[in-house]
Amino acid sequence: MYPPKLQQIVDLFEALPDMEKRETLITYADQAKSQAPREGETFDLEDVRKDEECTDTVGIFLKVGPDRSTHFRVTLGPQVQTLTKAMTSILCKGLEGATIEEVLEVPSDFVPKIVGADLVRQRSQTVYYILTRMKSAATVWRNRDRAAA
Amino acid sequence: MDEQFPDQLFRLMSEYAHPEALVSTEWVAGHLDEPGIRLVESNEDILLYSTGHIPGAVHIDWRADLQDQTIRDYISPEAFAALCSKNGIGPDTTVIFYGDKSNWWACYALWAFRLFGHEKVKIMDGGRDKWISEGRPLTREVPAYPTAEYPVPAKRHDDDIRAFFEDTLAHAKARKPLIDVRSPGEFAGEITHMPEYPQEGVLRGGHVPGAKSVPWKRATRDDATFKSADELRAIYEGEAGLKPGDDVIAYCRIGERSSHTWFVLTYLLGYEKVRNYDGSWTEWGNRVRAPIERGA
Repeated sequence: MYPPKLQQIVDLFEALPDMEKRETLITYADQAKSQAPREGETFDLEDVRKDEECTDTVGIFLKVGPDRSTHFRVTLGPQVQTLTKAMTSILCKGLEGATIEEVLEVPSDFVPKIVGADLVRQRSQTVYYILTRMKSAATVWRNRDRAAA
Repeated sequence: MDEQFPDQLFRLMSEYAHPEALVSTEWVAGHLDEPGIRLVESNEDILLYSTGHIPGAVHIDWRADLQDQTIRDYISPEAFAALCSKNGIGPDTTVIFYGDKSNWWACYALWAFRLFGHEKVKIMDGGRDKWISEGRPLTREVPAYPTAEYPVPAKRHDDDIRAFFEDTLAHAKARKPLIDVRSPGEFAGEITHMPEYPQEGVLRGGHVPGAKSVPWKRATRDDATFKSADELRAIYEGEAGLKPGDDVIAYCRIGERSSHTWFVLTYLLGYEKVRNYDGSWTEWGNRVRAPIERGA
């Protein structure tokens, strides 16, 4: 249903009680900075912007392999909320190696399984924002690819 | 002057009406283990407390802890007593609030505590951002305090510091002072949500007829501390035309930003009759036939 690495993360969260879910989200949030592009990396698509849906600038960097596998890097402005940081790490790890088509088909129903229904209700825009941006980048890449074919 | 907080003598320089309602980050750092005090962190960022907080601080979430989860209202006096009790807060505990966003949510939590008649409340000036910018310590250790005895408040003081739709409508018709603390774009009706925040289901844009626009953030400096009393008077009295003794209603979108302004007018400028309309624009802008003005 989900790309295998994302499925593993969903399985992990679903097995956790609420308190440990939160602690695990914080652990992922702590790793958000390490999802930024590293020196020497190059990308096929870079989309850095500030949207109304998020409190600070978010940069999406996408590299697509010959087999259409994706590799995402993400930069976050300092005002970005903790939940957005956590979702950044989860999605960078969970979608690593997934194809463009798999990324575009990821259903958003994994989000409540990870963050819990309460947090989704309280922060409904925040929790979906990074996935939306990644899918947006994947769409642009696919459209360019089709146009070039 | 509250003798428990002697370092606040400097506040007299700025002539706040109630200087005892503020404590500095420096004062807090020196009194972390003082009995009779409880630090409470309240944030917009729902997970921020868990990433690190002032040692000894407890977390009170504005939505999960202070609001009824079914009806759009605040918790009952019984639930408030239980919330305080579990956080080791007794009726005589001095509760010092701080948080992100220039203490926006901290002021909201403080206002909610005042709804239940808790008298000993203060704000840590500058909030979480100032504490961190000064290199002061944070911890992820969640403190556990012995349960405190907190008698169930006899009532909620809605009549004193809270305004409802009908109150606000009557206020507008009587041309009494109304302060709209939202962004200029929201006030003008150009947008129906805060810049940088999602649209949260308001059908009409604009403001309550007769309201003056004073965005809440104007009360703060870049370091998240409150401006001086003179600067605040220049804004609220010089520009917005308020006068000491006025009966004022402040509102925003859901009553959070306006609780910050409520704190400023009540504690820093000493206005005795200020109410926060927590229904705010999400109620007014959706209400059938509620009168609306547009434009700056």
